[in-house]
Amino acid sequence: MQTELADFARQHADGPEAADILRACVHCGFCTATCPTYQLFGDELDGPRGRIYLIKQVLEGQAPTERTQLHLDRCLTCRACETACPSGVKYGRLVEIGRELLAERRPRGWRAQAARRALAWVLTGGAFAPLLAVGRLLRPVLPMRLGAQLAPARAAGTWPRTPRARRMLLLAGCVQPALAPNINAATARVFDALGIEVLTVARAGCCGALRHHLDQQAAAREDMRRNIDAWWPAIEAGAEAILVNASGCGTMLKDYGVLLRADPAYAAKAARISALARDLCEVLPPLVAALAPRLGPAVSTRVVFHPPCSLQHGQQLRGVVEGMLVALGAQVLPFADAPLCCGSAGTYSLLQPAVSATLRERKLAALTAPRPEVILSANIGCLTQLSGGATPVQHWIEWLDERLR
Amino acid sequence: MDATLGQLVEQVRGATQARTPLRIRAGGSKDFYGNPSRGQILDPRPWQGIEAYDPSELVVTARAGTRLAELEAVLAAQGQMLAFEPPHFGPDATVGGCVAAGLAGPRRASAGYTHGGLRDFLLGARLLDGRGQLLRFGGTVMKNVAGYDVARVLAGSLGVLGLLVDVSLKVLPLPRAEVTLRFELGEAQALERLCDWQGRPLPVSGSAWCQGALTVRLSGAEAALAAARGRLGGEAIAAADASAFWQDLREHQLEWFAGELPLWRLAVPPQAPPLALVGAQLIEWGGGQRWLRSAQAPARIREEAARLGGHATLFRGGDRAGGVFSPLNPALLAIHRRLKQAFDPAGIFNPDRLVQGL
Amino acid sequence: MESAVVESRPEVLAALARILPREALLVEAEDTRPYECDGLTLIRQRPMAVALPQTEAQVVAVLRLCHRLGVPVVPRGAGTGLAGSALPDAGGVLLSMARFNRILAVDRRACTATVEPGVRNLAISEAAAPQGLYYAPDPSSQVACTIGGNVAENSGGVHCLKYGLTLHNVLRVRGYTVDGEAVEFGSLAPDAAGLDLLALVVGSEGMLAVTMEVTVRLVPRPELARCIMASFADVAQAGDAVAALIAAGIIPAGLEMLDQAASRLVEPFAHAGYDLEAAAVLLCESDGTPEEVEEEIAHMSQVLRAAQATRIQVSRDEAERLKFWAGRKNAFPAAGRAAPAYYCTDGTIPRKHIGQMLKSIQAMERRYGLSCPNVFHAGDGNLHPLVLFDDSDPDSVARAEAFGAEILEESVRLGGTVTGEHGVGMEKLNQMCSQFDRPTLDAFAAVKRAFDPAGTLNPGKVIPSLHRCAEYGRQRVVGGALPHPELPRF
Repeated sequence: MQTELADFARQHADGPEAADILRACVHCGFCTATCPTYQLFGDELDGPRGRIYLIKQVLEGQAPTERTQLHLDRCLTCRACETACPSGVKYGRLVEIGRELLAERRPRGWRAQAARRALAWVLTGGAFAPLLAVGRLLRPVLPMRLGAQLAPARAAGTWPRTPRARRMLLLAGCVQPALAPNINAATARVFDALGIEVLTVARAGCCGALRHHLDQQAAAREDMRRNIDAWWPAIEAGAEAILVNASGCGTMLKDYGVLLRADPAYAAKAARISALARDLCEVLPPLVAALAPRLGPAVSTRVVFHPPCSLQHGQQLRGVVEGMLVALGAQVLPFADAPLCCGSAGTYSLLQPAVSATLRERKLAALTAPRPEVILSANIGCLTQLSGGATPVQHWIEWLDERLR
Repeated sequence: MDATLGQLVEQVRGATQARTPLRIRAGGSKDFYGNPSRGQILDPRPWQGIEAYDPSELVVTARAGTRLAELEAVLAAQGQMLAFEPPHFGPDATVGGCVAAGLAGPRRASAGYTHGGLRDFLLGARLLDGRGQLLRFGGTVMKNVAGYDVARVLAGSLGVLGLLVDVSLKVLPLPRAEVTLRFELGEAQALERLCDWQGRPLPVSGSAWCQGALTVRLSGAEAALAAARGRLGGEAIAAADASAFWQDLREHQLEWFAGELPLWRLAVPPQAPPLALVGAQLIEWGGGQRWLRSAQAPARIREEAARLGGHATLFRGGDRAGGVFSPLNPALLAIHRRLKQAFDPAGIFNPDRLVQGL
Repeated sequence: MESAVVESRPEVLAALARILPREALLVEAEDTRPYECDGLTLIRQRPMAVALPQTEAQVVAVLRLCHRLGVPVVPRGAGTGLAGSALPDAGGVLLSMARFNRILAVDRRACTATVEPGVRNLAISEAAAPQGLYYAPDPSSQVACTIGGNVAENSGGVHCLKYGLTLHNVLRVRGYTVDGEAVEFGSLAPDAAGLDLLALVVGSEGMLAVTMEVTVRLVPRPELARCIMASFADVAQAGDAVAALIAAGIIPAGLEMLDQAASRLVEPFAHAGYDLEAAAVLLCESDGTPEEVEEEIAHMSQVLRAAQATRIQVSRDEAERLKFWAGRKNAFPAAGRAAPAYYCTDGTIPRKHIGQMLKSIQAMERRYGLSCPNVFHAGDGNLHPLVLFDDSDPDSVARAEAFGAEILEESVRLGGTVTGEHGVGMEKLNQMCSQFDRPTLDAFAAVKRAFDPAGTLNPGKVIPSLHRCAEYGRQRVVGGALPHPELPRF
């Protein structure tokens, strides 16, 4: 689509990139079909094609109102539209730029800004674990759904400490160790069984995605630099990869190179981090055959796998986990609308609770329709979002870990 | 303009000026069908012949006065057919009458690419309207969405919008092989069986149930027929007998059609249960077309057809003065009136034949 | 004819606000601009308002109100149309049916599905899959386009040579005329009494009635489908191969062609495995029982070889077959990777002229200085040349439009039509003047009046005015030599 950039946009660092992305869009509308909010609202403005138009209006200098803000806020950034787009429109990047420009052109009210800052602080800082503990104590008096989602975490079990010749770093994450400590431990045990030592580095924290998606780009870059510094010694010492077992964070790590490209001190290191970042499903499939003799029977064999958007759209890793699960003897049941988001989308579930709840209901209905024994997924956000229903929810690495003898 | 066509145009213009009704009639093979009409005869038979036929294009264009039998012979010589198996109801049936009546034979409800009624195969038509203008709708290609699909509306219009001049029909290759099977089944069982088959990938190309026997035709590649026969069972009918049966069914020459009782045609959803009506029945099109010989009151028969989601036509015989087709609701009738007004403002073509008072 | 009073904008908007909830009515430019075009971006127009009704009663209320006030109404589905049939009217209401997206029933016994108009084409097949059934027409946009739009456009698809167009697969349409009067066209029975108005409504581009509910015919999914990818060293040979297949008595389930430029365009997105060295690739599908498919694939391969195919590859499994088609189905938008804009035309010609037509297009590419990959429904003779251009350059836009127009003129000259499946919309109004004479165009207008006497439902589409045809005729003479002197002029 043709775009006439306004002066401010032409001078903005990201303006020309946005115009290039817009040019690729031919307005075919294929994207609307896979957009969760378009399915929900049936309004062009709540689909990618309409949002592209809204962003285009901002870039062309028209004064946006709170309605443009609303429609951009409602976007989950699930990027299902990118998978569907035959023209290769980088929508995820465009909406990031759009939000940044919009925040400049039309700053949010102080309340909204304060709330967003507080949210980032709580989730990524040291306050999350204690608050979660309080929440869990209060479960009996909390509304049912929230209570259900604050169910006690599965115990992490033991972390293998055997030194191994092969070593890989693991991004520990920010909310995950508190919400579901077993995921990291299970990862460590499965890799240990394969003769690979999994290392975490204490100083590394949030990958930066939380702040990045709350319009706090500068703070997000701080997160990235801190992590790079924390991992660098281990990388120099020969760590083969940076494993990520939360696909949302994996997507972010793979973007470090792009996001820090203008930082002369970190650009090269960031690119190296992005090159080393691996979702578990990019490392394990060739290795699991070796695991077979050590595996007991699965507790549950009828499974559904909810592919997180960050995995299937963000990282374009489709069908890999499912294929591995089948190879491991699971019956992976098909279900409707697999490309659609569950409504978690990072902090979205907190900022857009009504939309998020509806998407959760729909996703759970679709996932449980084939009557699985367990719902498996690959991202802490999705796992939390989908928990609390009648069907148990697990990271697939936990499902695999349970079978280790 | 060709002189023959010119004469037809003149006749229509004259009638429009004088506001004298015209009754379009060629071979008269379908005189029995539709509401009683009136007017001076307008006979398109001088305008006959095949205008264009290229087998690799799967299209034939013929003038309205062409004998249907002649057209079918030309197609058969190239291994092709009119897949909707139109009934002739007499040796003098013409292409124009066939399209105007819009009737189809057993293959109408077949599975796969031969499925469909006359309108589904009508690609284009030239119409002489009530102003004496020649209008060309559609064309000779498979897909055409330029303008409204008026040509297809002419299928089954019984000539009320004008005189068909020539038509382009999609043709298809003759089936490579056919086999006919017979099953001893009661009405309800037969309907159930047909329903089930419809939802399976089976090459069914005709079905007829009457008097406790369901006859089914399969068409397609030898391999497909062999596989389907294995699944369906039934007793195979000798090829010559089978071909005579389907021909007689199509032309209403089966023994079942003989007799004096009024012949009703009920078009209902195929899965509809057996009719709650008195009379002998012959069921075609997987349950969608039910022939009924019955002296029951027309209102009762129409009521039953409507209850099942369809409509009833007094096809042959009976008291035709009260109208042979199911009446239209007011909204649709209003559209019919305006369409008639648009194409035939003087109201000269086949008055009453499709809708009384139109 | 009822007399309609045209009210002023504020009064109309106030009246609409009384019958629609707040989130169902868009009036500010910020909100209505994203609705200014459908899949055809060359022509844009902001509507006075966008209505997003959620209930049938709201649809009726909007129709009655607009009819009373003489306000035009333009229905819209997913906005994927390529001819501008859903282009808004500046003084009218754009009636979005997108919120009606429920599948009401899938009936295994009747082999039908009844759905609301905003249900996506592919969603019907997905819902019917557990019953072993599917909805056959599969336009390339089937992931996104809705059945209401399919009815309006009489959409085709890559399998319609064998399984028919929307028209052949829709049994009944329930809806409203422009004055809010309930109507039902067609029937669940094989036919309905009276004239076959369903045949008029299907393909009427939303000008005759507003679709509220559609019942479609479902067909059993074939046990097996396999697809041949045949390479040709010359586009004309590929065209001749198409005619040879049909002449051999074969009706392939799908028969599509991509020229080299088109295969190279889609391959980076679809990874379909196309032969990028071939001048043209034919996709030729067979479906049925395994025995039937084996027999037919062998027969097709033999005909294709005799027709000079340089390479024949048969899909080994379902995944590979779907890959072959994925490339084809994503071809149009993939043009977005090669140029900022594309202009897709839709002429249909007799199959025997395909080779000749492709040669003509190659000559036009040189003449207009624009490239034009070709991807099309070869089995139906339905061409989809994609004229690539730069929409920020007015000269490029003008050349693209002239290029497209010339292809369509050529289609008519070869005995075809200006649109096989995309519709006339706003885009091909001029070419309608070439394809039809004035009395026939007047007859279309009369049909329109029979359904919509006041002419307020999706006005200005499909039927060119006398004035426009006169202008178009003049333009063509002034712009250079008359392209086709043998055609009748008005």
